Amino acid sequence: MKTVAILTVCLCGSLFLFCTMEFPNWGDPAAPASMHLSPYFIQNAEKDAAVPNIVTAVLADYRGYDTMFETAVIFAAGLACFFLLRTFTRKRRNERLFRHIPTGIVLNIKAGGKIPDDPSKFERIDSHWTPNDLIIKTTCRLIIPSIQLFALYVIAHGHHSPGGGFQGGVILGASFILLAISTDLRSTVRRLSERTSAIMASAGVLIYAGTGLLCLLLGSVFLDYGALAPVLRSGSVMARSHGILIVEIGVGLAVMAVMIWLYYNISSAGKHDEGL
Amino acid sequence: MTHQLPALIIIVPLMAALLITALSWINRKWCFTITCATFALSLAASVGVMIEVLENGVVSYRLGGWRPPIGIEFRIDHLNALVLLVIFSVALLNLFASRIKVQAHFPNKAGTFYALSVLFVTGLAGITITGDAFNLYVLLEITALTGYALIGMGQEHAPLAGLNYLIMGTIGASFYLLGVGFLYMMTGTLNMMELSKLLPELYDTRVVMFGFFLCLVGLFIKMALFPLHSWLPNAYTYMPTAASGLIASLTTKVMIYVMIRISLLVFTPAFSFGNAMLMTVLVWLAVIAIVAGSILALAQKSVTRMLTFIIIAEVGYMVGGFWLGNRDGVTGSILHIVNDAAMTLCLFLVAGSFRFRLDSDRFSELSGSFRHMPYTMIAFVVGALSIIGVPPTCGFFSKWYLIKGGLAAGSYHFVAALIFSSLINVILFFRIFEIGFFQTLPHGEPVSQAIPAARGIREAPRGMVISSLIAATSLIILGLSTNILVSRVIRFVF
Repeated sequence: MKTVAILTVCLCGSLFLFCTMEFPNWGDPAAPASMHLSPYFIQNAEKDAAVPNIVTAVLADYRGYDTMFETAVIFAAGLACFFLLRTFTRKRRNERLFRHIPTGIVLNIKAGGKIPDDPSKFERIDSHWTPNDLIIKTTCRLIIPSIQLFALYVIAHGHHSPGGGFQGGVILGASFILLAISTDLRSTVRRLSERTSAIMASAGVLIYAGTGLLCLLLGSVFLDYGALAPVLRSGSVMARSHGILIVEIGVGLAVMAVMIWLYYNISSAGKHDEGL
Repeated sequence: MTHQLPALIIIVPLMAALLITALSWINRKWCFTITCATFALSLAASVGVMIEVLENGVVSYRLGGWRPPIGIEFRIDHLNALVLLVIFSVALLNLFASRIKVQAHFPNKAGTFYALSVLFVTGLAGITITGDAFNLYVLLEITALTGYALIGMGQEHAPLAGLNYLIMGTIGASFYLLGVGFLYMMTGTLNMMELSKLLPELYDTRVVMFGFFLCLVGLFIKMALFPLHSWLPNAYTYMPTAASGLIASLTTKVMIYVMIRISLLVFTPAFSFGNAMLMTVLVWLAVIAIVAGSILALAQKSVTRMLTFIIIAEVGYMVGGFWLGNRDGVTGSILHIVNDAAMTLCLFLVAGSFRFRLDSDRFSELSGSFRHMPYTMIAFVVGALSIIGVPPTCGFFSKWYLIKGGLAAGSYHFVAALIFSSLINVILFFRIFEIGFFQTLPHGEPVSQAIPAARGIREAPRGMVISSLIAATSLIILGLSTNILVSRVIRFVF
């Protein structure tokens, strides 16, 4: 069986090589891929949409419909993960763990025992090794705001430099995941509940599709940001530029929320009680 | 407003899927209503587009206002207008049948289920409507991803079957994407119409030939053509019954539509049907698929599992019919997309009712079913007759065209395979009829005495029965309107 597999791979590989020999040369300026549409984009992106970054113009404007569905793919991934993994039936445990915050001592309270009621002194944890490291916590507390600021910069600066909604959204999501790793899942969920992240994920894609729909309602076609000019009080070219920004914000929001939602479900196997 | 209809077909379900997700965290009651309204609206929009196409020919919609090769366009001709109608009708019918099943199986996740199935349908509609080869891939991803999730939530081995499908499906989609990449490399465009204009000069280059080949192989995996079918039986057997009518009746059919689209509109018929060796090989593959699918179906012991192998045989019908390369064959193949979607829907709805009422659809459980579930069995009989190909059900007419095409092309092996498979179908279904009608209960007494007539009826819930009956009626209506379909719609495709 193994030899058959190796033979198949070799055969297909050589077929590939044989057929790709007629490819245009690597980086050939006369190749059809660089001759056919690229000149239009290079010459007109700035004029059409007032966006210096051509990639952003192609991504969010010329082929904005593709990008809308790419965002929907990410959304679908979050939704699929929730659908498959999330379990709502909670197994009743006969012991609960509480940590005395000032001393760090963990109390194990059996069923029927008295549960500490002062939330400022005791925190509920799910496993003995829930991290409580001062160095990690302090470092993350310092790092996370700067990560989030940088993420906002990446989203907003997609017009001029590499960046945009997808990248910024992932960085924002990563900051929350870092918070969850450095503390525990429970305290992260307290800051941003699953419900909020699910609603934010759909809201992000809704911003994208809604912007497109607004263009349609204002009398133009779907996703023609130029039609937003009267609403944004700018020329139609600037309206395109602003439209791209609005859409990128939607993408950022959706990607961030989906990343967090995915992490919640995967790290706790859908139970949302224990940290990783 | 009519010129906005193509956009509405896609936007309405997309927005609805997002709204349903958000709403499922706020107020669950609205999810079903919104899903219903969405499919109805999109169906209405597709009817509008169909009328537009019938009156004025091809409809094009430029997204973002950019002219086609620069931006993306929707391009709707007779073929995809027809497929759009099929998609939304099937989705709507399956939805009515699935309401109770969703409540029973996913009490906490009903909203998510609806959101995923609406996204799934959006993906299929997007694949159908688009005029851009890369955009097709993006929507293929949406369909696949939501499909894996829906399948993975079924019973028994569903997660494993879903994983299997995920791996095979991803390979298939990557092949398609690679093929499109090859075509882009040589032409620099992704728009289907422009590709069809630029490609003829490049037909003899190996890259274009190989690109075409890669696209086809990718689609063959996705549509489960026989040697590449291994993902389908388990995935379709174990998936939740609430989704089975939707996924089983639409996925393979839409993939066959894509194959037709690529072969006729991106490449020209002169190229696709110009290579005699390719056609011979593909018709032989289809013959093998038909024979193998039928024989494997004979070995199964439950209705759903038997149906999955019938689907594999039916895929053979459509692929073979198309690659006969003559008018009757292609007509039969396109007609069969519509008819097979309706037949599969009807039978899967019935199988879903069996599973809901009897907890199983194994043949042994079906004894006396004509007495317990008379209306469901009426739908089952009509669906079965249609699969066998008895007039006036629609299955007869598409088979008729396929056989005519086979004879015209001199592919007698294809004709023989079609007749062989029909005979096997007779055995398959009459065996079930016999069990349902005459079979005695386990303790030896005949059904008629074991169950008093008055207490005998244990019909499936009303929504399921009505949906299956509508689906069954549609088989006869489709059969009787074959002539209109062919002369008003399919004639313009090829």
